[in-house]
Amino acid sequence: MHIKEHPILGEQLNKPITIYLNEQPLEAYDNQSIAGALMANNVKKLGQSRKLVQARGMFCSKGRCCSCYMTVDGEDHVKTCMRKVRDGMKISEGLEDPELRRDIDEG
Amino acid sequence: MKADVLIIGAGPAGLTAAYEVAKTGLCVLIIDEHQQAGGQLWQQSQILALPDIFPNMRGFELAQFLVERLEGLAVEWLLGHRVIGVYEDGQIGVTNDKDVFPVFAEKIIIATGAAENAIPFPKWTLPGVMTIGAAQSVVNRDRVKPGSSAVIYGDNSFASDVCELLLSVEVNIVAIVKQNKQLGNSTFGDMNIPLYENSSIIEARGNGKLEEIDIQTPHGMITLKPDIVLIDGGQSPILDIVYQLDCALRYQAELGGWLPVYNHQLQTSKDHVYVTGNATGVSNHSALILTGMLAAASVCEALQSLPPEETEVVRNSLYSKLENEEESDTFSARKEHIKQFSTPQLKDQFIS
Repeated sequence: MHIKEHPILGEQLNKPITIYLNEQPLEAYDNQSIAGALMANNVKKLGQSRKLVQARGMFCSKGRCCSCYMTVDGEDHVKTCMRKVRDGMKISEGLEDPELRRDIDEG
Repeated sequence: MKADVLIIGAGPAGLTAAYEVAKTGLCVLIIDEHQQAGGQLWQQSQILALPDIFPNMRGFELAQFLVERLEGLAVEWLLGHRVIGVYEDGQIGVTNDKDVFPVFAEKIIIATGAAENAIPFPKWTLPGVMTIGAAQSVVNRDRVKPGSSAVIYGDNSFASDVCELLLSVEVNIVAIVKQNKQLGNSTFGDMNIPLYENSSIIEARGNGKLEEIDIQTPHGMITLKPDIVLIDGGQSPILDIVYQLDCALRYQAELGGWLPVYNHQLQTSKDHVYVTGNATGVSNHSALILTGMLAAASVCEALQSLPPEETEVVRNSLYSKLENEEESDTFSARKEHIKQFSTPQLKDQFIS
């Protein structure tokens, strides 16, 4: 749930935007992190672990634990606790390792 | 790029050091991975206890103060940049995730701060289990409720600050679970929340997200159904750059674990590298400011922008303030750590 009126910090959520999780539109606000905006929409699972295929979500929110990797506008392995939302952003779960060598292999 | 002094980390300690160094006429370059200087202060809405030269203020107010204080001084910024290594000739490798370039500085101050520790238990990786600091930044930075009912695991003053914040945005706190019974009163005071001491979370369960947890208490096992568990496992210094610069380390449990060895000048085993803030040992906000000033004084002395006699007076006064303002156990551990400067437990860690 978005906090419209913060008891200490006042209002901040004044510019609503739309982001898309697996093509489904969700409400977010300018300046929120992707992981935060998803949490407001009750989306907790952000990806899954490679080996044991277990759900992963936001853990540290400081860009250190790497538990919140997702694919954002075609870019794999984005730390979604650190990247801010943008109107029209397309997001999908981080389900596998990024294809870092794609350019080299194909080139 | 070139500067007299490179400061790695733009949190309270780094910003304080930057001010003290730049004030003497030296050129400072500050690098931080975030786009905004201030570090974790921006999401800290609690009122901080600070050295007597500052009025008491909230974290985000301190961030603003420390950043604005640098206006007009010879300070350059590399925000949104990270240090990723050291070149053979000693220059620092910096990236903005697109390009990598070298930075040369006479002296380096490490002000990388600390990160929260996890307290692992089976299925602690389920979405919904997060650090107490994560809950604070979701509320204050993103303006989002992290859940509707929370269990807090751990008990120190930071957890109780966040607990108050969560209650104020109508997150229900169903229980506080502490592994040890602490001496004195619980920091949670009279918030009227069920408190389980000498207890631990032994398992979490859920399908794709946290649904329930088992807690072993001295009076038997109980099962609760919170949608978030907030772990307060304390903090440990962030050491990536300490390793890259090949600084020697020692373990000091009271200061948060492994940390670089440093002397009275807060100088590490590498002559040109100094350390400050939580990277010198996890402590309170007063200590972040005071060690920022200490490291800066030593760097200014080494670069001759402060005369040695004056520096020694400044340093002694800062150490006596530090002794008054940080926990006595922390200050003793710090003294012990300084005494052991020449006997590190780990050195030559860098594999080239």
